Formats: sequence, C-alpha cells, structure tokens
Amino acid sequence: MPTEIMLDRITMPGLALESKINIIQATSHSLPNGVPVYYVNAGTQDVIKIEVIFRAGSREQDVPLVAGSTNSMLEEGTKKHTAEEIASLLDYYGSFLETSVQQDYASVTIYTLGKHIDKALPILEELIKEPSFPQNELEIYLHNNKQRFLVDEQKERVVAAKNFPSLLFGDTQPYGHKTRLEEYDGVKKEHLEAFHKKYYTPGNCAIIASGRVDEKLLNKIGDYFGKDTVGVQNFEPLRNYVPHSAKEKVNFIPSPKKDSVQSAIRMGRVMFLKTHADAIPFQILNTILGGYFGSRLMSNIREDKGYTYGISSSVIFLQHAGYFNIGSEVGSAVCEAAVIEIYKELERLCNEPVPADELQLVKNYLRGNFMRSMDGPFALADRFKHIWLHNMDYSYYEKYVNALSTITAKELMEMANKYLQKESIYELVVGKKK
Amino acid sequence: MIDFERFTLANGLKVIVHRDTSTPMACVNILYDVGARDEDPERTGFAHLFEHLMFGGSVNIPEYDTPLQIAGGENNAFTSNDITNYYLTLPAVNLEVAFWLESDRMLSLAFSEKSLEVQRNVVIEEFKQSYLNQPYGDIWLEIPKLAYKVHPYLWPTIGKNIDHIKYAVMDDVKAFFKKFYCPNNAILCVTGNVTVEEVKALCEKWFAPIPMGNPPKRNLPIEPPQTETRKLELERDVPASAIYKLYHMGKRADKSFYIMELLADILTDGNASRLYVELVKTQKLFSEINAFTYESLDPGIFIVTGKLLDGVTLEQADAAIQKEMTKLLTAEVEKDELEKAKNKVEAQHVFAEISILNKAMNLSFFELLGDAADANKEVEKFFGVSEKDILDESIAELKESNCSTLYYRAKTK
Repeated sequence: MPTEIMLDRITMPGLALESKINIIQATSHSLPNGVPVYYVNAGTQDVIKIEVIFRAGSREQDVPLVAGSTNSMLEEGTKKHTAEEIASLLDYYGSFLETSVQQDYASVTIYTLGKHIDKALPILEELIKEPSFPQNELEIYLHNNKQRFLVDEQKERVVAAKNFPSLLFGDTQPYGHKTRLEEYDGVKKEHLEAFHKKYYTPGNCAIIASGRVDEKLLNKIGDYFGKDTVGVQNFEPLRNYVPHSAKEKVNFIPSPKKDSVQSAIRMGRVMFLKTHADAIPFQILNTILGGYFGSRLMSNIREDKGYTYGISSSVIFLQHAGYFNIGSEVGSAVCEAAVIEIYKELERLCNEPVPADELQLVKNYLRGNFMRSMDGPFALADRFKHIWLHNMDYSYYEKYVNALSTITAKELMEMANKYLQKESIYELVVGKKK
Repeated sequence: MIDFERFTLANGLKVIVHRDTSTPMACVNILYDVGARDEDPERTGFAHLFEHLMFGGSVNIPEYDTPLQIAGGENNAFTSNDITNYYLTLPAVNLEVAFWLESDRMLSLAFSEKSLEVQRNVVIEEFKQSYLNQPYGDIWLEIPKLAYKVHPYLWPTIGKNIDHIKYAVMDDVKAFFKKFYCPNNAILCVTGNVTVEEVKALCEKWFAPIPMGNPPKRNLPIEPPQTETRKLELERDVPASAIYKLYHMGKRADKSFYIMELLADILTDGNASRLYVELVKTQKLFSEINAFTYESLDPGIFIVTGKLLDGVTLEQADAAIQKEMTKLLTAEVEKDELEKAKNKVEAQHVFAEISILNKAMNLSFFELLGDAADANKEVEKFFGVSEKDILDESIAELKESNCSTLYYRAKTK
C-alpha cells in the first residue's frame, strides 16, 4: 500500500492539453447513372451500413400519412416476394432493415455483416424499386398504427410533442401538421403508388455507406443502383418558407387521463436554419440552458427542486426552418412552479453573463461530446448526413470546434437577448386544469 | 472477439482492461454486485435510490458531474434486480479524472441531507413517469408479484410502492453503502484507447488504498416451482386490452436462457416470426405481439404479450397464444427458423462490439457471472442449441401449470 505519500483526493488531476480532433470525412463517389454515393471506410468490425435516402419526407405529401406509409410499406411486399419472405431472406443472414421518415427526407437502411452483403443488396434493391403495396398488408398497417395512435394520445408527453410544432408552424403547414385519427382512413393504395413513383426515383436519391467500404462494395452498389436512368428530379424545394405561428403564446391542453399525476411542458420558438451565423453560438447557449446533464434546467428543476425526473432543451434544424424547444414532465402540483423557474432561467441568461468556469466546463464537455459523436463508422456517416442535408460541408464542424475555443460570455448573452426573451416564447402545458 | 487482460488488487477489486486504438475515447465501467434482490422487503427501491445518491457528491469531491464534464466526459448508471452499474466515457487523454472520481465515491460518499431529499423527489417523479402516468405502466408493478411469491424478484427495481422511497432516511443510506459499496464487491472494466500498464498504475494509485469491505454472503429465498396456473385480471382506462403470459425459466447462466432467447426470436422477432405471421397478419387478433426473457441471474421468466385489436376478446387472444404454445410442445421448430435466429444473434454480437461502452459492460457482466472470457463464448453457446433442446425446454417450461396470465382489460366506454 502506498502509505508514504498522502494521496491528494481533493484536487482534480490535470487535464491534457486540447489536441486536434481528427475528423474522418466521407468520400464522394458517383454511380454510372450519376446517383451520388458518400462513404466512410472506418472501424474494426466486418460490418456495413447502407442508407438510401430519398427526398420523400412528410412535407412532400398531399395526403396526410402518405410519406410515412409509403416508406414503412416498402418491406411489406414486392412484385416477387411477400413481407414474410423478405423478412426471412434478410433474417437468415442476420441483416436488418430500418425504414425511416423525417419531415425532409425518407430513407431505407440496411445493416449487414460484410460477408453477407451479396444477399442483402438484391433485397434492398427490390424493395426500393418494386414494392407492391399489398392491400391486405396496408390495412393491417393502418389499423395497427391507429391503435398505437390511440395509446399515444393517452400520454401527456406525446400529446405535447405533437401539438407543439403545430403551434409554431401552423397545423396546415409543412412541419406543423398534427396527425388526426381519421386521417388513417384516408390513406389508399393509389396514394402510396403515386407517391412512390414520384419520389423514390434515382434522380431523387443519394446513398451513404459506412463501415467496411471498399471499391468492390462501391461497384456492387453500382450494379444495383447505378443502372437506371436518373430522369428528372421531381423534388421541389420549399421556397420562402414562412411559418404560420399561433397567435396565443400561452396554451393549455387538458390531460387525456382522469387520474393524471404529471403534466407535460413544452416551451420554445421558431429559430433559423442550420446555415445561419447564429446557429453555432445558439447551440452552445442551448447546451448551457438544457443540453446536458449538468445544465441549468436540470440543476435547478431536477437537482435542486426535485420537480422532475428529467428536463432538457434542444435546437432542431429542418431544411427550411428551425426551432428551439424545452421539454419536461413534472408533478401536476408543481407544474406552475416549474414553468416559472424555466422563465427565470431564460431571464438569467439574458441578464447575467455566463460565469467563466461554467463556460469553460461547457466548452470542454461539448468538445468531448463532439469526439464521442465522431466515434465509429456509423457515427461518422451520421455526422456527414447532418451537414449534407443542409447543403453544408465539413467547414461547419471546423467552425463548431473553433467556436468551442473562442466563444465568449458576451456573445452568449447577446444570443440570449436576441432569441430567448420571454415575449418570444411559446408555452404549452398538457395536464390538469388548475 | 474482445481481447482483455485481468488482474485483482489486494483489496479484492477485480479489474479488466480491453485496448481499442480505433477510438480516441476511453470507457470506465464499474459494476457493483448489488441490486433490488438484495433489498429489505420493507425498504424496496433502495438500490435504485442509492444509485441516484452516488451522484450527490463523495467524501472529497463535492460534485461528481461537474469535473467529469470539464474533462469532456459523460456518464450514466442503471440499477436492475441483480446489479448496479455505473459507466462513463471521456477522451482517453483524461482517463485519470475518471479514476479520481470513481475511487472517491467507492471510498465514501458525502451523505448530504439535501441530496437525499432531492433524489427522493426525483425518484418519486421517475416512479410516476414510468409506472403511474403511462398507459399500461402499472403492469410492471403487477407482473413480478404474479410470477414470484417468495424470491425478491417479486418487487420491481423501482420499489413496491412510493412510500418505501418517501421514508428512506440517511441511516439507511449509510448502512447500504457500508454493506455493498466496497472494492471486493465491485468489478472495474476499462476499455478504449488505454494501455494495461497505464490502467494498472492508475488502479494502484487510486483504488488500492481503499480498504476491503465485508459484503454479506447472498442467501436469497428460492422460488418454489409453480404447480398450478395463476390468473390476474385488471381493468384500466386504456384504449386496448392487453394480455401477458409469464412462464418460469432458468437463470442467465443456464442453457435454458440461451434456448428461451432463441425461442423468443423465433416467436416474435420480425415480420417473418411465427406469432407475428400467425396472430398479427393472418388471424388479425393483435396489433402487436412480443416474447422476451428477463435476463436475470436467478431463475427468470419468459413473457409473451400482445395488445388486442378491437372486437377481439381476451379469452380468444389467450386461446390463440396457447394454441401456438401447444405447437411448441408437440413438434420441433423448423431447422430454418432456428438457423435464422442464431444468425441474427451472431450479427447482433458483431454490431454490439463496435462500441467500447458495450464491450466494457459485457466484460464486467460476464466477470460477475464467473469469467469475463465467457463474453466471447456467447455466440458459440447460442449455436449449441438444437431443435430438440427447444422442444425439451418447451415441454418443461411452457405448460399451463407453469404459467401466470394477466388480463389487462380496457374499460368499455
């Protein structure tokens, strides 16, 4: 036992000097027909992830739920195989499929061991190019989702999350529409066929591959996705998008349950695009407010008051809009008190510069977090996707890392005053009437 | 395949090191061999409440999170019926900060009254958020006591009821710490861009001076075999009725676990799984159906559950599941079905090994089970299961006398 020297357990061990963060960038490649492939060859495991992205997000749909239904139904049957056969063919080799729809895009992703790529690719091609949208499967899909919708409607948190974007963007606008039960009955096979035909085209497509990606794999991707003629781009960008925000800033929705013991809170506002000059400083400000475990909202509302199990804030960037939101579920009796505390924290950011030690902590934390977010092949592919979707390049991350060294308390206070004044904040509570 | 080295300090702390130079990060995982099963039946939920208090400051360091965040780190923890597991990741260059923090809270806590008061409230809100204010949430308070009558798995990790948490006092906290939080009741695993020499030196410096403790020898009541079918019916204000069928099975280390995990996959994992095709797609009785096991160190349960579609009665749903279970008692599963389930397990293992955090948790868990090297034998064990094993196990476990059924009936409006 090292008894001669008393161990100093009080002083924190010294930190290493900031080293340069090494960002592995995606490489761009073009298939014979012009479909772009971006790839990250990294990692130690024999795994491959291929994400095929289409500009086929929910904002393109004319009929509610069609973008999501089209995307989910891709794996429910093709001209050659039933849903069960498709699943069997993938399962047999331990490959798995993920379909996903966001507001701006839809994607079909396959994860596979490198040794089974030849089994996975033909299925991926088939369900993207030749879905049959069988009537029976569609009915089951809609029926089961309708039931899930009803369960979700019982959750204050989900009700708040669904209603908040429509307060900010307007229910009839892209990004703001809130799904209603009866909309499940309006989705027809023809809608899916038409949506697929229009948006799931090579001209509307990009591929991101990560993991063990070599030239052989790129050629194989070319065999399956590089031969069809690209044709026209059907994608129409939203021009001069203007949100239709609600008039009332303070909103309340009664809890769907009689015996509710918690209320859900959402607060926030419309922001700017990811390309905006304030995007990076505001994200740092957001971290201080509610973007990490030690944030001001967590410290005050959970760790000091014990009103909640968790509270956080985030900035969401869509292609044509952005928004900021704070979310929490709190005990019904303390809901009002929690809202008051949230406003206090916003006000504090506007009126007092962030103390130097807190700012340094957040900078260091975000640096570590940035390294974590770049760790591993799939994470690297995601970092690429998140700049590519906004037509940005890797200089965004350079600026971000740079800001983590240089941003000042004064700049952050300016950000707070510009964007977090109480008058600009929308508030939504789903819970018990006082 | 995860390569690792292993050593034990004089005070009994077991240490495992896995080097992965493809990442700039390091992960530190500490598993304490204490869970909800070790609680006093009159003070349930304590292991989990205690986990929260581990972040309320230690004897020499007033705050845990702040210095870790300064070092670019992030952490979390979870409590189960069996274990309490703390983990953090940070840039590997700042590894010593993790040792400083973790060793101090193993040495002793600050035992602050304020922290206890606040965390009691936080845990009560967690209880409400997860179990009371969630449609179907209270099912997880009911299931354990339906399946277990004497073994402490009969209460959930969060606790039997909120009062047990409300009335926790500082003396309980101190006693719990003294009893379970000592080097010879813990496993430390470090993974990522680290060397064994570096970890050894840091262990000697920070953990070796902590005195050995005297953790109690575990002597839990054994759950007697269930001999007749059990039924429970609850009526709640939910949109759709649900059914849960629970079957007693073996423990994590038993072959039973590998068999039942594969069976769960065969039954409900994916669009080509048996129950999905039969009960969701063909008969259209359920909107969703799931089968899974409790991955528990003492004998666990196998659960089959589904949410019913409108117009389907619980009795009909129950009969349909039973019919599928009976098939398993009378014929082996298809060779293809089993092969498929095994291949999926293999792929999942390869994917999981991308993450240094997963690797650290796995090595710690298998060390607790007996040998960290077993983390690398998992796939082999799954591949060793045969069609006949599944048939034999089904005959032994999936009979009605070993089953508890919960009808969770939606109130009619």
